[in-house]
Amino acid sequence: MSVGLPSDEVAEDYKNSLEDLTINSRYEISNLTVIAKENTEHAMAISRVLENHIKNTPPDRKLPALYVLDSVVKNVGTPYTLFLGRNLYTIFMNAYSLVNNQVRRKLDEMLKTWKEPVPGSLDPRPVFPLETIRPIENALIKARTAAIQAQQQQQSRAQQEAMARTRPMATPNPQWRNTPTPPQARGPYYPPPQQMYGPQHVPNGNYQAQPQYPPTATYPVPPQPTATIYHPPYPQPQVYSQPQQPPNSSDPIHQDVEKLISAARSEFSSNVNDDSLRIRLQALLALQGALKSQTLTPQEFQAARNEVARLFAEVYGTSRPVASAPPRTPIPPTYVPPQQVPQQQRPAQVPTPQNPDIQSLLSSRNLADIIAKAQQAPATPPISLLPFSQPQPAPQNSSIPSLSANLGDMLASLKSKGILSGASITPVNGSHGYAPPPAAIQTPPTVPGGFPRPALVNDVEVISASLKRPRINLVSTLYESRPNQCSTCGRRFLATAEGKERKARHLDWHFRTNQRLADSAKRGQNRSWYVDELEWIRSRDNPEDVPLTDASSDAARAALAASYAAADPKNKHIPVPSDPALANQPCPICQEKFDMVWNDEVQDFVWMDAMKIGNRVYHASCHSEVKKEGGTTPLRISTPDSVLGKRKAVGDYNTGNAKAVKA
Amino acid sequence: MSLPGLDLSAPVETVVTPTVHELKEQTEWRFEVAYGTKVEVRLLSGTAELFGTELPIKQSYTFTGTKAAIYTWHGCRIEVVGDCQVDYIAEETPMMIYANLHFALENLRDRANSEGIDGPRVLIVGSENAGKTSLVKVLTAYATKVGRQPVVVNLDTKEGMLSIPGTLSATTFTSVIDVENGWGSSPMNGPSQVPVKLPLVYYIGLANPEERTLIYKPVVTRLALSVMNRLQDDGEAKETGVIIDTPGIISQGKGGYEMIQHIVSEFSVSAVVVLGSERLYSDMLRRFNGQKTGTGETIAVVKVDKSGGCVDRDEAYLQQFRQFQIREYFFGDANTTLSPHTQQIDFHQLTIYKLAEPIDDLLKSLMPGDVTEDSTSAIFDKVRPSPQMQNAILTIVNAHPEDTQENIRDASVMGFIYVADVDEKKNKLKVLAPVGGRLPNKAIIWGSWPEGISDLM
Repeated sequence: MSVGLPSDEVAEDYKNSLEDLTINSRYEISNLTVIAKENTEHAMAISRVLENHIKNTPPDRKLPALYVLDSVVKNVGTPYTLFLGRNLYTIFMNAYSLVNNQVRRKLDEMLKTWKEPVPGSLDPRPVFPLETIRPIENALIKARTAAIQAQQQQQSRAQQEAMARTRPMATPNPQWRNTPTPPQARGPYYPPPQQMYGPQHVPNGNYQAQPQYPPTATYPVPPQPTATIYHPPYPQPQVYSQPQQPPNSSDPIHQDVEKLISAARSEFSSNVNDDSLRIRLQALLALQGALKSQTLTPQEFQAARNEVARLFAEVYGTSRPVASAPPRTPIPPTYVPPQQVPQQQRPAQVPTPQNPDIQSLLSSRNLADIIAKAQQAPATPPISLLPFSQPQPAPQNSSIPSLSANLGDMLASLKSKGILSGASITPVNGSHGYAPPPAAIQTPPTVPGGFPRPALVNDVEVISASLKRPRINLVSTLYESRPNQCSTCGRRFLATAEGKERKARHLDWHFRTNQRLADSAKRGQNRSWYVDELEWIRSRDNPEDVPLTDASSDAARAALAASYAAADPKNKHIPVPSDPALANQPCPICQEKFDMVWNDEVQDFVWMDAMKIGNRVYHASCHSEVKKEGGTTPLRISTPDSVLGKRKAVGDYNTGNAKAVKA
Repeated sequence: MSLPGLDLSAPVETVVTPTVHELKEQTEWRFEVAYGTKVEVRLLSGTAELFGTELPIKQSYTFTGTKAAIYTWHGCRIEVVGDCQVDYIAEETPMMIYANLHFALENLRDRANSEGIDGPRVLIVGSENAGKTSLVKVLTAYATKVGRQPVVVNLDTKEGMLSIPGTLSATTFTSVIDVENGWGSSPMNGPSQVPVKLPLVYYIGLANPEERTLIYKPVVTRLALSVMNRLQDDGEAKETGVIIDTPGIISQGKGGYEMIQHIVSEFSVSAVVVLGSERLYSDMLRRFNGQKTGTGETIAVVKVDKSGGCVDRDEAYLQQFRQFQIREYFFGDANTTLSPHTQQIDFHQLTIYKLAEPIDDLLKSLMPGDVTEDSTSAIFDKVRPSPQMQNAILTIVNAHPEDTQENIRDASVMGFIYVADVDEKKNKLKVLAPVGGRLPNKAIIWGSWPEGISDLM
């Protein structure tokens, strides 16, 4: 391919292509990957260009650019992982700091896949060495911890009304939740930061819908309150700068739930496919939501305390005496070291892939059972960070009676039990709309939203070398960017209003043609004479695209046909008669021959200013003139059937005309 | 004598099981169908295109006398009913380069649009059977696909574009190219499933343009003039530019290069695309690279690969092809049956010019040095119908019967008639004309190409 090209040129080309990458287009990204693959000898230059591009491109284009990076390192590998790995921390963190939460989520997801081998690859090594990834993760964890703290603090203020406000926004489109309700209007897309990182109700939706969600899942949130780090880049610095406060000082249950959630989350992050973990998390989050919403009755609250205490005991191996219920038999406790993803937990968990198994897990109908199931495995020794004195909640168990595979259902049932308010459902539905690619897909970036747009870089020049470089993405301008296809002839139209209109006209043309084909079966057809130069130069031979009238409705057309008939006789025309005798006869009135003209509308040669009456053809203008002078009957009708003939002719003419207009 | 419903002689319908081909992305199914056999092709899923023209899903296309390829960018499944002479799936195609060429032209068209200049004029050169016409079709199809209106010029007299062989023609393509049948159909007085194309046709009457540059060059000039006029008159066409197909023979040597030079200057070609041949490419580079067109654009010379699917078409096939084109002119194709008209005409009603025999070298050598072919010889000889004229194709041109020979030569074609019979005793000709009615009172040219066709009627 471009063997002879200097690196600079390749890099320049690559740069230009990157600059046209504005959306997450699978074609463009895979094309850029192909180019990278074919130019491994210029890997350094390309990596440099890519790096700079990610650095300099506006935030809304960072994701596609990073997807290119991801795709390249996964699909091409070695030289690029080396070159790109060098500054990966800067590349990633720079981008991360400038994008919104939604994109961060995707980045988290991507980062997670970098720690794993390329799916389907024989190479067991991760995409990037862990030494490269770890600093990024650490930084993110710190940032996230800070976020949680801030959010907790904020949460305590937000309280019920905030929840209530989220309620009406139960829509599948997360962006709709943009509504700037005061406590939540934090991020541009995913307003409440707590929904991203916080332990409340929101993430559970995500877990349900997308178990692989790494942002919350991948990085264990350390329970220990860390000092705020990394806040400047965040768009909501104030969130992080706020000191931590217990969400609800009235009862430590909140803290415990919080901790449990953290633990569960970190565990879950290490094994996103484990449904039992997910369910536990969901339940905890639901519980937390319920607690926060303060909709629990005192009895329920007490039950919840008991349960939490029990769980806490299970998880952390320590428990505080609970007034209402004794701690249960400790199950081998599980805790995840806060900082690193605990790989060792994996065998412990049932790596059930997806929803189907949720059912069975849920069939236990008991949070404790679920957790027990999930934890019947050795785990790291418990780390008890804080002393807890927690009561146990009972209602949690009883209130998750029949969980379906869908968290929405679960929450609904909670809601019906009065445990959860409707607010909790909102995020669930909302988060469904995200549907980011499962991390397991080989190149996640190329999948989502990979709808090609016409706005593609077209850098092809009429130079042999330029022509040889494959640009498969450009082919989409021939196909995908014109999705509206005629099923009869394959012609494609843009999806725009104009394209639709063109297609409508086009289909109209097919329709008329079919009608005329049926008609023409009766009369013989023949080849027409070719047009002469002048006519050819002036012709605009596109019968289908020429709008016959501005009005497209049949009614309008019929009306037009009528007015057409009444209009200037000069516009009247008839097909050139096929009868040679008639074809050679002049107009009986003026004795002049008829002018033959190609007519696009009827796709035929016609005599303009002509009309057939009886079996003679007149100039329409002559005829109307004579008629004006001589009354209704045209002069010099030599045929005896003049009146009948005329009537018939008029009828013929009208239908003919209507046909002509339609045609 | 057969009774309805009792027609035992009817051939028993053999049940043909369709073959399904799975094409991976960016591969093509190449197939050849002999004249007389039919092969039906249907796209089941995916996308597929024949020389750039997309096939819609589930639409069935019938091919006969075709050597073509169905290419897929995205992968597809096609169903084939009938026997192909040859068919195979090819994985290596130059389609990416051809598509890139289209995109490169699109760039130039966009620029033309923004700067108000003419779109690219592209000349495709290459030896015989290099796939020139196929490339022209691909470029044309892609251009129309994205809503452009390219003017396509055929300068190859071996095969006609929307006309019979022996002609040059220019057509603005605004609608899809016919998939089954070459370029489609010129206008008829009835409807057509595939929109008809309106060609402007000139007659050469020679297989080899170098044989009589005295005819070929001025007619090319005239055609170019018309095309340039069209471009000035038609904004869409101006922006899209011109795609020119050439005869392979002019890509073979010095004399031909003169012809290429002539075409380049007449159409002010801005890009010369060399198909396949390295030698031709270097010759073209030497001749045109860096040269400016009349409007000051730099002429680009590029080479693109020849498709491995190009097959040498033997003379028998080519002759069948020519006869098919003539037959199609009068009688239509499989989808449309046309009814030409026969009529008896008195000898004196026709003014027939026969292409004069070229002055052979011996004669030329006997002439004084400064006397050129131009100034001495007549282009045409006025002839009286003779039995040799039987089965010939006569060309009616838009020129008065007594016009000057140059005007008759340069006049555009109105149509063709076929001489079915010459009755010298009665001084009558029996002719087949596409259109009924008296033949227009125009000059008629009797060329040596395409050769007569004996079994037209």
